[in-house]
Amino acid sequence: MDNDLIARIAGGDDSALRELFDAHAPWLAARLRAALPAGDVEDVLQETFLAVWRSAGGYREQGSAGGWLWVIARRQAAQWLRRHGRDESSIDALAVTQMSATTDPADVAAARTDLAAAVESLGAEGSPEREVWRLLYLEDQPVARVAELMGVPVGTVKSRAHRVRRLIRTALAGRPSAEEGS
Amino acid sequence: MNVEITGLTRRFGRTQAVNGVDLRTGQGVFGLLGPNGAGKTSLLRMMATVIPPSSGSLSLLGRNPAEHRSRQELRRRLGYLPQNLGYYPGFTVVEFVEYFALLKEMPPGRVPAAVAAAVERVGLGDKAKAKMRTLSGGMLRRAGIAQAIVNEPELLLFDEPTAGLDPEQRVEFRTLLREFGRRATVIVSTHLVEDVGAACSEVALMHEGKIAFQGTPDELTARGVGHDSGDAPLERGYSAVLAAARA
Amino acid sequence: MDTPQDVDLNRVWVGVAAQVWRRQPGRIERLVTRVLRSQGLARALLTTPSLLLPWLLASVAVLVAGAAVTAGTGQPVVALAAPGLAAAAVAYAYGPGLDPAWELSRSMAISDRMVLMTRVLAVFGVNAVLALAASAVSGTAAGIALGWLVPMTAVSALALAAATLARSANVGAAAGLAGWAITVLGGQSATGQLDAAVTKSSLVLPYLLFAAGCAAVVLFSSRNPKGTS
Repeated sequence: MDNDLIARIAGGDDSALRELFDAHAPWLAARLRAALPAGDVEDVLQETFLAVWRSAGGYREQGSAGGWLWVIARRQAAQWLRRHGRDESSIDALAVTQMSATTDPADVAAARTDLAAAVESLGAEGSPEREVWRLLYLEDQPVARVAELMGVPVGTVKSRAHRVRRLIRTALAGRPSAEEGS
Repeated sequence: MNVEITGLTRRFGRTQAVNGVDLRTGQGVFGLLGPNGAGKTSLLRMMATVIPPSSGSLSLLGRNPAEHRSRQELRRRLGYLPQNLGYYPGFTVVEFVEYFALLKEMPPGRVPAAVAAAVERVGLGDKAKAKMRTLSGGMLRRAGIAQAIVNEPELLLFDEPTAGLDPEQRVEFRTLLREFGRRATVIVSTHLVEDVGAACSEVALMHEGKIAFQGTPDELTARGVGHDSGDAPLERGYSAVLAAARA
Repeated sequence: MDTPQDVDLNRVWVGVAAQVWRRQPGRIERLVTRVLRSQGLARALLTTPSLLLPWLLASVAVLVAGAAVTAGTGQPVVALAAPGLAAAAVAYAYGPGLDPAWELSRSMAISDRMVLMTRVLAVFGVNAVLALAASAVSGTAAGIALGWLVPMTAVSALALAAATLARSANVGAAAGLAGWAITVLGGQSATGQLDAAVTKSSLVLPYLLFAAGCAAVVLFSSRNPKGTS
């Protein structure tokens, strides 16, 4: 369904873009809102769907369209913040909201400052846990794709993801919401 | 007062289309009722600065349309949907609305967003890139409404806007009318009494170039008490006023 | 997940749609906009039927054929064809019979009269340039090389006046072409020369007076509402 829409968008069909917008903009807005003020969410969402319009031709049917959209949204958010001279760390917080049940902006903002340290606790750059963190939570790749990229079974990715969440939770001491509900 | 009209007349040869109309109105939706040939369209065309009055005075948004500069300023703040719209068959809906936005001298930088907002507002988003010649009558009417509202006008003139719209679209259009009535003067000419009852805060009934009644829809309804012609209370009021005017 | 209450998705979509639907003006439109200092007027000018490519190509074809005949036979075909072509093009420039949304156009800040004048001047200018080029390549005698310009003005003015009064581009074109044919044939029967209509200097003043009269008719019939107040 979404794949068909994206194919139509690639062909220049603006009504397909509208359908994709209606289906996905609400949850994208909610996720972005966890880390950004409402005005910025509107701007980032607009840039996201314009990027979708421009880049639909490069879409490959791997994983979910939602995941693809989220990667674009997060990239647009980072670009938006950089362009406007804002603190980009709020984008990392978007990954936290993804792992967490909470979308309370206050919670996320508080978590943001400790996040860098928490990510450090996963190990050195390139370590299996850091890779799982990057692929699964930052790039929003599906588990099967992460397993494929890392050359390990799906079960291993899942157990590493569990370990990542536990380490993050420990690092963000006193902020148990980072794992619960994930 | 956004509209101040005194002793306005308009002749076409020997025909006296508008015959001494006085009218004052501010923000809100004003309904212009009357049978075909009552002079509604001629009155609207004068307000749209399309034709000059034969005599009488006309002040719109505090400007005198007889003066060149005032007329130009007024036209930038005006939205007009003629009875016979006319369209360019090869234009898309967006091109059509954009064309008139530019002719209304909107700042070019604001035009794309204003066009998109107007097209969405009339529910033509899924036909934005369709050629005008492929649209149904109701869709053409909505494209006409989009060009009228694209500049967020302070004075909106609609001549038979619901002609060609299906019942659902008419209900949506009345909602749009009420929205616009909150910040602009909207004058709607129609022969459909139910449009007036649902959307207008004030109404005038024209007969043979003159205003036979002016008041609220409730006051028009009250005129119909005891009158047996018409299916709804407002229709009975309409018929009663017309019968009295003819007598 | 529900949309956050303070995020207006409608506004977001309108922002997206504004970019996706936006028409990109071409190089010519940008240039004309700079010259006229009005994007609306530029857009109105570039949608003139007699300035669209098919019309221009047809005009060029007629003038190329005329230039070939002129060069081969010495007959002043280009000089005789140019006013007729211009008259038809001017009649199809603008007017109540040509603009389907004429009524609406009359309520615009950029007035119908402004659009009319801009289009007519542009159409006339383009036709004059084309005829000049055709005259140059056909090696027309210097005496009649520009002799067509004044009659072209008169016949174009006639076509415009007829189109405006009759609210029909066809009537305008027919009046222009008929007026020109009568002038050419009349000139020939009076002097025995086919090119009398474009060579007799005594005709210049009548042509100009006639053009001025037609222009007055156009100005009167497209006058702005005066109204009393």
